[in-house]
Amino acid sequence: MIATSDCVELPSGVSLTSDRLADTVRGCSWPLNDSGSFILRRAGSPLDAVARELAEAHDLPPDVARFDVLRFIWTLNSLALVNIVPSGHRLRRLADWLGLTLRLAPTGALPTPITRRRRLDTGSMVRGVVSTLRASGFRVLAIATASTLVLLPPTMIVGGPGRVGALAVGLGVGTAIGVGLHEAGHAAMLRGVPSALVVRGRRTFLLHAPLAPARRSLVAVSGPAAAVAAGMALVLLGAAHAEPSVVVLGLPLAAHSLSLTVLGGDGRAACGI
Amino acid sequence: MRDLRAFAFGAIAIGVLAYAGMAALAVATLAAGRSLAVGLGPLVFVAVEREASAGVMTFGSGLAAVAIVGGLANVASARLIRRRAGRRSDGVE
Repeated sequence: MIATSDCVELPSGVSLTSDRLADTVRGCSWPLNDSGSFILRRAGSPLDAVARELAEAHDLPPDVARFDVLRFIWTLNSLALVNIVPSGHRLRRLADWLGLTLRLAPTGALPTPITRRRRLDTGSMVRGVVSTLRASGFRVLAIATASTLVLLPPTMIVGGPGRVGALAVGLGVGTAIGVGLHEAGHAAMLRGVPSALVVRGRRTFLLHAPLAPARRSLVAVSGPAAAVAAGMALVLLGAAHAEPSVVVLGLPLAAHSLSLTVLGGDGRAACGI
Repeated sequence: MRDLRAFAFGAIAIGVLAYAGMAALAVATLAAGRSLAVGLGPLVFVAVEREASAGVMTFGSGLAAVAIVGGLANVASARLIRRRAGRRSDGVE
């Protein structure tokens, strides 16, 4: 959710000229009207201040100006063309989010998540992997924590006493490592291609410049392959030493193999769809 | 060629998943000091036998059969998607 006290910033790779918004990662640019340029030139200012200035400059009712600014920023954010710089304390934002979630509950909807785009250095294979792991670090930690908490109740049913925590942590950590390795695998094959890591809600993906079909397939396969290779190494190690906790750690990583099928976007790209 | 790719990726994906799942089951069985045999008719997926001082895990032809079925299912799904949606290129992985 976006608050009027939030600010916006142009992510690395996105630039503003006099009347166009350009994205070097996508290799595209889009024309902006006067109002669009007006709003984006004030990146860094709180959105309510921008809306007030827009209302004064274009002689608009304040509510209309605020709605226009929020809708414009919302659209650009959903396209990963602007990042939101939240204002206020994290706990306050969490409380606001919970309040909005409760208000939306009767409709069966959740607040639309904010998109966050981070720059990736794809100058070399190693830089690509390191910058992806760095960019997704917080995300990986959050997934590990959330997965462990979600998996705790079901593991209480299947695990014996004393093993519950280890089983849930193993699956949670494996899930998080899998996400990091998956995206790092993609980045490893994107050497020299402008790319960015995008996080939106529960989705994490790489945005990159258009590629030739063969390379696109290679990039698509490399993500799941990295996670599956690590997972199978852990499963084989655990099986060789009859160590269930090591096998459990490898299971979520091995599950990334499903991304190679047409069930996942990577699999569809790899299969030439 | 596309069908071959879809078959290969589907077979690998389902084969890996089946192997990992059966390995987890077998290792958990070994750790519990029990025996186990998972199969479907003549197809054996995994068998765990306890011997005097150690356990033995055997992975059977059932895993290969599951992988082949997974590959064929992926080919069929890929054909269906191609027919319905056509080619898509969004530059997102």
